[in-house]
Amino acid sequence: MCRIFSHISSLKVALRHGHICNFKEDLRVDGRGCEDYRCVEVETDVVSNTSGSARVKLGHTDILVGVKAEMGTPKLEKPNEGYLEFFVDCSANATPEFEGRGGDDLGTEIANTLYRIFNNKSSVDLKTLCISPREHCWVLYVDVLLLECGGNLFDAISIAVKAALFNTSIPRVRVLEDEEGSKDIELSDDPYDCIRLSVENVPCIVTLCKIGYRHVVDATLQEEACSLASLLVSVTSKGVVTCMRKVGKGSLDPESIFEMMETGKRVGKVLHASLQSVLHKEESLGPKRQKVGFLG
Amino acid sequence: APPGGGEERELALALQEALEPAVRLGRYPRAQLEVSALLLEDGGSALAAALTAAALALADAGVEMYDLVVGCGLSLAPGPAPTWLLDPTRLEEERAAAGLTVALMPVLNQVAGLLGSGEGGLIESWAEAVRLGLEGCQRLYPVLQQSLVRAARRRGAAAQP
Repeated sequence: MCRIFSHISSLKVALRHGHICNFKEDLRVDGRGCEDYRCVEVETDVVSNTSGSARVKLGHTDILVGVKAEMGTPKLEKPNEGYLEFFVDCSANATPEFEGRGGDDLGTEIANTLYRIFNNKSSVDLKTLCISPREHCWVLYVDVLLLECGGNLFDAISIAVKAALFNTSIPRVRVLEDEEGSKDIELSDDPYDCIRLSVENVPCIVTLCKIGYRHVVDATLQEEACSLASLLVSVTSKGVVTCMRKVGKGSLDPESIFEMMETGKRVGKVLHASLQSVLHKEESLGPKRQKVGFLG
Repeated sequence: APPGGGEERELALALQEALEPAVRLGRYPRAQLEVSALLLEDGGSALAAALTAAALALADAGVEMYDLVVGCGLSLAPGPAPTWLLDPTRLEEERAAAGLTVALMPVLNQVAGLLGSGEGGLIESWAEAVRLGLEGCQRLYPVLQQSLVRAARRRGAAAQP
């Protein structure tokens, strides 16, 4: 009963922001605290003809990520490394704004952000993707599909990408060189003989939306509509930050930025810990686990 | 790195998101302000320079603004004791472990834009970089004010027959 009364007393503040939320008591419309995530569902290995895949449902946000490993030539400036390519498709089913080419801008923005967060030496060990220097390497094509848009896209997508990379298995190849010097690439006969990527240092994005004087984690669509500016922080499980970006058409107070960075680090650590345990638990269930897929 | 035009799209979005808080868009309903920045030579801190130039251009055009936007670039010099360098040159940027661009509205003391990536380390390191960048923006502000005043005076003198 007293919860309802406290909502009414803060109605003045709420009407100004067009949203009913009592920040003094750390209470949002759906009952969460300012630093709480919605219920996250993660399932890996949902698409059969990919090297790795994952589906993440964060509230009403639904993301599907598929990773395909293909052979390519290394980039000129990094001859001993493979690389990742990101493609984001905002499906027209997600929201009516994505009809036709409406989702292209958002898709490019998300893809550019993904390139940015992975643009460093430690996120993914690209040297493991090298087959023979300057000639062959593995290229991981990461395809992100937005199935439903329910707010907080960046976080959900980064969780899905991390889960899909965890699920990725790259076939082991050997380079055979014969007497004339011509190289031949031999694929291992055993289909289960593959390399798994270490996703220990893969970052996850935490978006902190500034609403009024406070900031919230994992904003719903309604909360995002009330927020003029957000800070996007990409943080690894060890607390290392790989990317920071201000999003939105408003401005942020410098003190708020420092507070939001601290929250991002704190929340990021918890997020990584729970994601890691979920992924390992799912893996340990083995091939006999019950798959939910798209019909559950 | 994003292929081909991807980088330009990203920087264009960063420019838009940094200028929007400063312009009084409510005064120009049904109008579209198109800001195009042409990078003639990249000697370091290109995005910061583009932000500053764009804000100055809008002010020079007479567009109503709440405040100017000043941009500042930083990069993290790698090594045993990583230090953040203010306004790096192209060489320093290429060798850097991480880069950051901040955009500040100096009078209102509001951060209009922030874009950074790389191996900048822990949150404390990034916070220090943001502080350094904001300080740099405040130091640049008088220079921009003086150039706008000079331009206004020149225009005033030219208008008198």
